[in-house]
Amino acid sequence: MSRAEAAVTAEGARLPRLAIGHRSIPVVLPARGDPRLKLAAIIITLQVLGQTVLGFRVSIAQILVSILLCAAIEVAVTYRRSGMLVWPGSAMLTGNSVAFILRTSGTQHGDWWSLNGIEFFVLACVLSMLSKYLIRPGGAHVFNPSNVGLVWTFLLVGPVHVFPQYLWWGPIGLPVVLALLVILAGAVWILRSVRMYQMAVAFFVPFAAIVAVLALAGRSFYAVWNPNPISGLSYFTNIVLSPEIMVFVFFMMSDPRTAAKTPAGRIAYGVSTAVVAGALISFQSTEFGIKLGILASLTVTCALVPLIDRWAARAAKAREDAPARARYGRAALVAVVIVAVAAPVNTAALANNEEIVLIERGLLGPSSPQ
Amino acid sequence: MDEPQRPTQPSAIRRLAASAALVALAASALVGSGAFGLRQRLFGSAVPEPVAPVGGRVAGATPAPQASQTVLRSVPWWQDVASFAGSADEVTEAFVISDDILQWRVRWTCMQGNLTVALAGRDEPPLVDASCPDGGTAYVTEPGEAMLEISASAPWTVEVAQQIDAPLVEPPLEGMTAPGAEVVARSSLYGIERTGTGEMIVYRLVGGGYALRLEDVYVTPNIDLELRFSELDRPGSTEEFLDARSVFVAPMPVTAGSLNFRIPKRLEPLKFGSLVIWCPPLAVAYAGATIEPEGAP
Repeated sequence: MSRAEAAVTAEGARLPRLAIGHRSIPVVLPARGDPRLKLAAIIITLQVLGQTVLGFRVSIAQILVSILLCAAIEVAVTYRRSGMLVWPGSAMLTGNSVAFILRTSGTQHGDWWSLNGIEFFVLACVLSMLSKYLIRPGGAHVFNPSNVGLVWTFLLVGPVHVFPQYLWWGPIGLPVVLALLVILAGAVWILRSVRMYQMAVAFFVPFAAIVAVLALAGRSFYAVWNPNPISGLSYFTNIVLSPEIMVFVFFMMSDPRTAAKTPAGRIAYGVSTAVVAGALISFQSTEFGIKLGILASLTVTCALVPLIDRWAARAAKAREDAPARARYGRAALVAVVIVAVAAPVNTAALANNEEIVLIERGLLGPSSPQ
Repeated sequence: MDEPQRPTQPSAIRRLAASAALVALAASALVGSGAFGLRQRLFGSAVPEPVAPVGGRVAGATPAPQASQTVLRSVPWWQDVASFAGSADEVTEAFVISDDILQWRVRWTCMQGNLTVALAGRDEPPLVDASCPDGGTAYVTEPGEAMLEISASAPWTVEVAQQIDAPLVEPPLEGMTAPGAEVVARSSLYGIERTGTGEMIVYRLVGGGYALRLEDVYVTPNIDLELRFSELDRPGSTEEFLDARSVFVAPMPVTAGSLNFRIPKRLEPLKFGSLVIWCPPLAVAYAGATIEPEGAP
């Protein structure tokens, strides 16, 4: 049982109850100031824009299945551990994030009730929740659940069936501007409540510098939505200023449960994620690879957060205030190592994947899965 | 995987479950690496099997090209196989339909009386059973060697063609390699609204006239594509292309390979800015190539 769960258990007597048969089950509802509600409001707003004016190739049914599946898993696990029905706010966010980024081949925009490729949404959600409840070397989950679930699904299943939401959501126009405004306003709203402004800046400054160097060095990438390779200034703007990278930094990296805990640690966390992302995308010549590089960078850095926290505490000479050194379970630690090593190595290997290059270059004609 | 805070040792079942989970995790990491083609075996591949390109628009008339096998595919196109004509009953010579066809067809005309065309040696209804004068097309899907048994009492024609999607790699036209022929323009294809790769070469032929070669070309497949010369140097969109004058050069029935096109005598390519691959049914500019005079800075 986690500390949070223990705390609610102690308060169980004061909680509202749900009577089922002879049992009276305490129910924990979300607090009004819960930042997860804010984040949910932002992501749902973006999903609505995606369904209406941004042409997102994800259906309402896929979104609902993802959210409800994650929620059901979390409710079941929490009930088994604490005997309470706890509002699954985090899990619903996980499901929403999965549906926000995961796309399955053949899903068309506007086909709202399509269950096309639903097995891959289920896979990503189950992997996300398994990582949350099984990979807990120090008693708490290490990886951002939706991040690791998405990375593993993309790498495992591959580009024939799944691909990430495109970096850009369409030509600059009212819908994209509206989405950017929602993201930026949401960033102000969220980052302030979780104290992650510095982390965001610590990511964006080195990341922009690395991508600028790559652009100047002549790197380019192929994307299915552009008939020619994207290079030069377009390379820079399409990566650094894309709505997807903003969503990644503001709403995924900022998860306080898996980010570094101290201000100095959060700066190191932002910088190290940027450096890993820059290194991984430097290999890539496709949008699929670049998006995976960005996502996998967080997988790596999340595994390093305990080290970052320890380093940050030592740097501040406040080791006594640092989180107590956890006793790591051996199996969970091995799992962390496997995930943290395989995610970047397998992402780097995408650079040599001819299939992805053929897909992104548009050379497969009607047999292209995208 | 485990609950390290608990003072008790994990049970044997938990240890076994943790080990199994780790093995599954490592196995999934191996699949995700793409090693040994495991991902393709489990989840399939979008890449078609490599095929050898064909060497000409008539089957067997040109030696197979030296080009290596490729996974790229053209829009399905019709390669001529054989043609026959007569004015009485006949069993044609044998012809061979390739194994990798999509389908094959018999195009026929007849002048009077009745015409029947059947696959010789097969106990099947005839492909054609018509009153003449008339003409039409019959389609067949079985590959292999075939002969046609024709029953007629007046002049008739039959043309056999097979539909394939293998790239066409034609050798350069004789006029392109003849002494005195010269390359007058050359540039790379770029995508406008669709994918377009490869190289465009314009030749001035001996004795006047021009010919065009698209080398190692690939254009997003679609039927009824055509080549047009545009006054613009590098149209970037369909709208830009439509705003300027353009002229028809040739149809483009094949969308992958190395292809030759004769330029109509009335056209002077160097007076145009670019070649554009245009799709009339969709009214979309697919790809283009700037006509850059050879030797120009």
